[in-house]
Amino acid sequence: MPDANSPANDIGTQYYAMQLGIYDEMYATENKALPYWERFMAALEAMGSEKLELRRREAQRLLRENGVTYNVYGDSQKLTRPWRLDPVPLLISSKEWQVIEEGLKQRAELLNLIFKDIYGEQSLLKKGLLPGELIFGHEGFLHPCVGALQNQQRQLIIYSANLARGPNGRMWVLDDRTQAPSGSGYALENRTVMTRVLSDIFRETHVQRLSGFFKALRKGLADIAPHNKEDPRIVVLTPGPLNETYFEHAYLASYLGYTLVQGGDLTVRDGHVWLKSLEGLQPVDVILRRVDDSFCDPLELRSGSRLGVAGLLEAVRRGNVAIANPLGSSILENPGLLAFLPRLTRHFLNQELKLSSVATWWCGQRRERDFVLQNLDSLVIKPINRSQVNHALFGGMLSSNEKEQLRSQILAKPHLFIGQEQVSFSTLPAFIDNHIEPRNAVLRNFVVASGDDYVVMPGGLTRVARQKDNFIVSNQAGGISKDTWVLASEPEKPVSLWTQPVRNQLIEAVIEPLTSRAADHLFWVGRHIERVEATAQLFRTVLLKFRETLEFKDPVDNDCLAVLLRTLTQVTGTYPGFVKNDAHQLKTPQTELLALAKDSQRSGSLTANIQALVQSAFSIRDFWSHDTWRSVDNIQRRWHQRVINYDCNIDQLQSSLDELITSIVAFTGLTSESMTREAAWLMLDSGRRLERALTLIALLRSTLALRYEHALQSQVLEAVLVSTDSLTIYQRRYRSYIQLPMVLELLLLDESHPRSLTYQLYQLSANIGALPRTRSKSHLSEEECLILKAYTDVRLVNVLKLTQVNENAGIYSDLESVLSNTADLLWRLAEVIAQTYFSHSQTSQLMMIKVSEDEL
Amino acid sequence: MKYRITHTTLYNYSQTVDLCQSEARLQPRDFWRQQCQSTLFEILPAPIDFHERIDYFGNHVAYFAVQQAHTQLIVTAISEVTIFPEQHTFDLFSQLSWEQARSQLQETPMQGHSQSQQGQSQIQDLSLDMLDARQYVIDSPMVTTADELGSYAQVSFLPNRPLLEVVRDLMQRIYKDFTYDPTFTTIATPLSDVLSHRRGVCQDFAHLAIACLRAYGIAARYVSGYVETRPEPGKPRTVGADASHAWFAVYIPGIGWLDFDPTNNTVPLDQHITLAWGRDYADVTPLKGIAFGGGQHTLSVSVDVLKLE
Repeated sequence: MPDANSPANDIGTQYYAMQLGIYDEMYATENKALPYWERFMAALEAMGSEKLELRRREAQRLLRENGVTYNVYGDSQKLTRPWRLDPVPLLISSKEWQVIEEGLKQRAELLNLIFKDIYGEQSLLKKGLLPGELIFGHEGFLHPCVGALQNQQRQLIIYSANLARGPNGRMWVLDDRTQAPSGSGYALENRTVMTRVLSDIFRETHVQRLSGFFKALRKGLADIAPHNKEDPRIVVLTPGPLNETYFEHAYLASYLGYTLVQGGDLTVRDGHVWLKSLEGLQPVDVILRRVDDSFCDPLELRSGSRLGVAGLLEAVRRGNVAIANPLGSSILENPGLLAFLPRLTRHFLNQELKLSSVATWWCGQRRERDFVLQNLDSLVIKPINRSQVNHALFGGMLSSNEKEQLRSQILAKPHLFIGQEQVSFSTLPAFIDNHIEPRNAVLRNFVVASGDDYVVMPGGLTRVARQKDNFIVSNQAGGISKDTWVLASEPEKPVSLWTQPVRNQLIEAVIEPLTSRAADHLFWVGRHIERVEATAQLFRTVLLKFRETLEFKDPVDNDCLAVLLRTLTQVTGTYPGFVKNDAHQLKTPQTELLALAKDSQRSGSLTANIQALVQSAFSIRDFWSHDTWRSVDNIQRRWHQRVINYDCNIDQLQSSLDELITSIVAFTGLTSESMTREAAWLMLDSGRRLERALTLIALLRSTLALRYEHALQSQVLEAVLVSTDSLTIYQRRYRSYIQLPMVLELLLLDESHPRSLTYQLYQLSANIGALPRTRSKSHLSEEECLILKAYTDVRLVNVLKLTQVNENAGIYSDLESVLSNTADLLWRLAEVIAQTYFSHSQTSQLMMIKVSEDEL
Repeated sequence: MKYRITHTTLYNYSQTVDLCQSEARLQPRDFWRQQCQSTLFEILPAPIDFHERIDYFGNHVAYFAVQQAHTQLIVTAISEVTIFPEQHTFDLFSQLSWEQARSQLQETPMQGHSQSQQGQSQIQDLSLDMLDARQYVIDSPMVTTADELGSYAQVSFLPNRPLLEVVRDLMQRIYKDFTYDPTFTTIATPLSDVLSHRRGVCQDFAHLAIACLRAYGIAARYVSGYVETRPEPGKPRTVGADASHAWFAVYIPGIGWLDFDPTNNTVPLDQHITLAWGRDYADVTPLKGIAFGGGQHTLSVSVDVLKLE
């Protein structure tokens, strides 16, 4: 007998407190756990709750590091919420799975036929099998899409359904998702993590693999390419990084090997869809759409949309592009349809509906409306259009006033409402606060049309409510996800999406074109990372000097600190800062320094730069390897923990800065070791080189270009070398006192030194020369001219001449003019690069008569 | 009656536009009252891509894309249309009450028809008409019925009043109660503002009438077109001073769609030229487009309705 008081053993089935009258997955209708659950729970019990908690945390860590997030709308901070995973999966026997699988296939087939009919002949409406108001009154019915469906085997390519088990043990469909179903990527990521944290149990339990589904998805998408194109270009269309499931869009794009695009990356010309890339326009054949259909074409659909592509529907109509799912498919998400499915199954398939929907009454019919009004207390009332504010109302929970209001709303426009039976869903074991507790669960399944059949993912995304007795399960409401294990009769071999049992052959590599938008973000990731690093280095030097002033009380130290503080303001552009020459502030710079580190609202502060960096990097999430993304995550998370969320003082800042610099080096190291030297790398590296050159110039202009008396100059020179990570090299190379000409030689002219100005200019010139562009042999492009001039001007410099100075002058004017000229050229270069390569930023506008033209 | 209509829209941009896609519903459609002999589009710069099709509501649509850099776009449509004024006048004596019309629209009329053998095709056609009409009873993007609109309409909807009388009364009331004021509204002005200020233009009056009718379960649609303006006696006609116009149509079961112009308090006969119809303005916008770049744009429209014979 296990000891009830031992915390290590309290997660066995005997501690599982089921709720009376509710079906539980583990027990079904028996008094005893089902055998496959029993085996699984025994394995958990053997592990013990402490160990299980460790594994749960390990799973959370992996998910966070992989950047698995779910964005929550209305979050003022625009922060992403980490994805939560419960290590106890939902187990489904192979026998039961067969029933579910068959049911889902039938339903997909049925919805496909309804879809075809509504946007084609409309015989269901003409025959009275579907009432017109049900279709015409739903926002998912898009008039311009009627007649636009292309001739392909199936129209509904991707289908997803939310299932839950009712008290009688039968699976019910809660709703159908046909617009742009989300979740398959999360399901895959959950599985990837589970195989790592519960690898032992996973191995012993024969679980069906998920990769077959994604193979089918790839095939299904390639199948619908117009004109039977052999090797179609497929893109994933996302609304962008602010979308709640953006992680998944990026994840699926990189897992499936497609380009992730936003509406602005695409354009319609000559009735075809094109991808705007650095190499020019590239044809697009298939779009895996994660943008809602009404937002996809501002010309014919929702005119205010900035997420779509003008002319897309026209390209579809001409059969030049295929979209999965086709535009208009959201009509199938109309919950009023649920009431008509049994009849339509008989009509189309001559079968009974295998997976029933939750009992639904559409109020557009008199009898059904009366029934709903008489039973308001026991029903859930939903508007058929999801966008409306009151998504689901539980009749029994309304006050009599609210009920009257609802009643009159229904009576005014009955066709816009449905009533649904309230079902208490089954519970299943969940690991919550170190205990196994029953929780209501909803299972989301995924189906894809591939070849001659629909293929169902053997598994899915199971979600449970966080609180007990809460059956509103949703990600927006903060639910917890679970993996879903469909048990196989035999052990399955893992299949990689990318291995195929074919002959040993060499396939020509496809280089996916870099979109202009991605190029823009890569360039800025490069610039931000350099900006953060340069600021952190200088910051550290300032703090060092500050400590010395406190320790040694040497007046020269104080002077040097004042120089460095002013430099910090100038390099970061955080005026007025220390430049206003407030003697008191220069002596007690702590407040301003902490603000420069922490204040996210102040542009130029470290926190602001880090946020900008992370935002740019997140916008092209699909470009980064797991390790690289983890390094980005580290930069942000540690800074948040140690500096922002923590009342850190000046002393502690020093070690946080050390850590920050280490994380940055990890990122730059990882990118330079793992990115192929193609357009993406060229953009990232150009951003870095440009920014490093500019910050170096800013540093030198506010330090070395000024004249100091001898003792102070020595200190400033040393600080500059420290701040550019060049002190060691200087000492090794010159073995002498630090003197201006040599420092300038090292920092300006030494082409072998990765911190020097010429090094940056040389690399920039090489990168720019390698960027794709229509080339002319006879003359250079503007960006080539600019970098060539900047490079040559610096190379022609004579260091000794630069350090000659008039007796009374306060600055080295030749040095200052070389630096400022170079800076001007580089600023212009940044503009030209943006114009040439990032033209996507051009905005579109709606041209329509705004004021009435009527003058009668 | 024969007309030549010249409708010109001119866009000027402060910066270059590299790409512009547009949709024009500027070709008059054919139906019992009218036939369009020809429509000629003149677009400058010339679009590389020009495609015509018929939309869901049966209107002619021209899609075109100007794919070269430009700072000015001129779209001209020239159409010749014949109007047949004599037909359907006797229908104006239909005695069908509005309640009867409503209940016919609410029934599910199609079921069981497949069994009937005799006269099946005719019943089927009528039913299809009815099915089509039913989508004009419910809300559309720019016309959402609300209690206040229903209350305004109530005076016209006397019990057992023939639908035709209801509509004529409603038209007259709108004409009397509302002030024509092009400075008050834009296409984005909600109907509730039009109603509370009693001001607007033809689009607003058409939308208002449609909303009132739909609030009582009657099918009503929006018609865009032109109306011939006759110069005051003794004065010459001003070329290009005409304008786009809009009015509404009501579905009378058993008869079909009849037009009413609340701006002029008339039943369109031989001076109204129909371009297109739909649930509301959003379905039949004469010209709309998406331009990339362009900075600020200005727009001017000129319409000329010339009576040929």
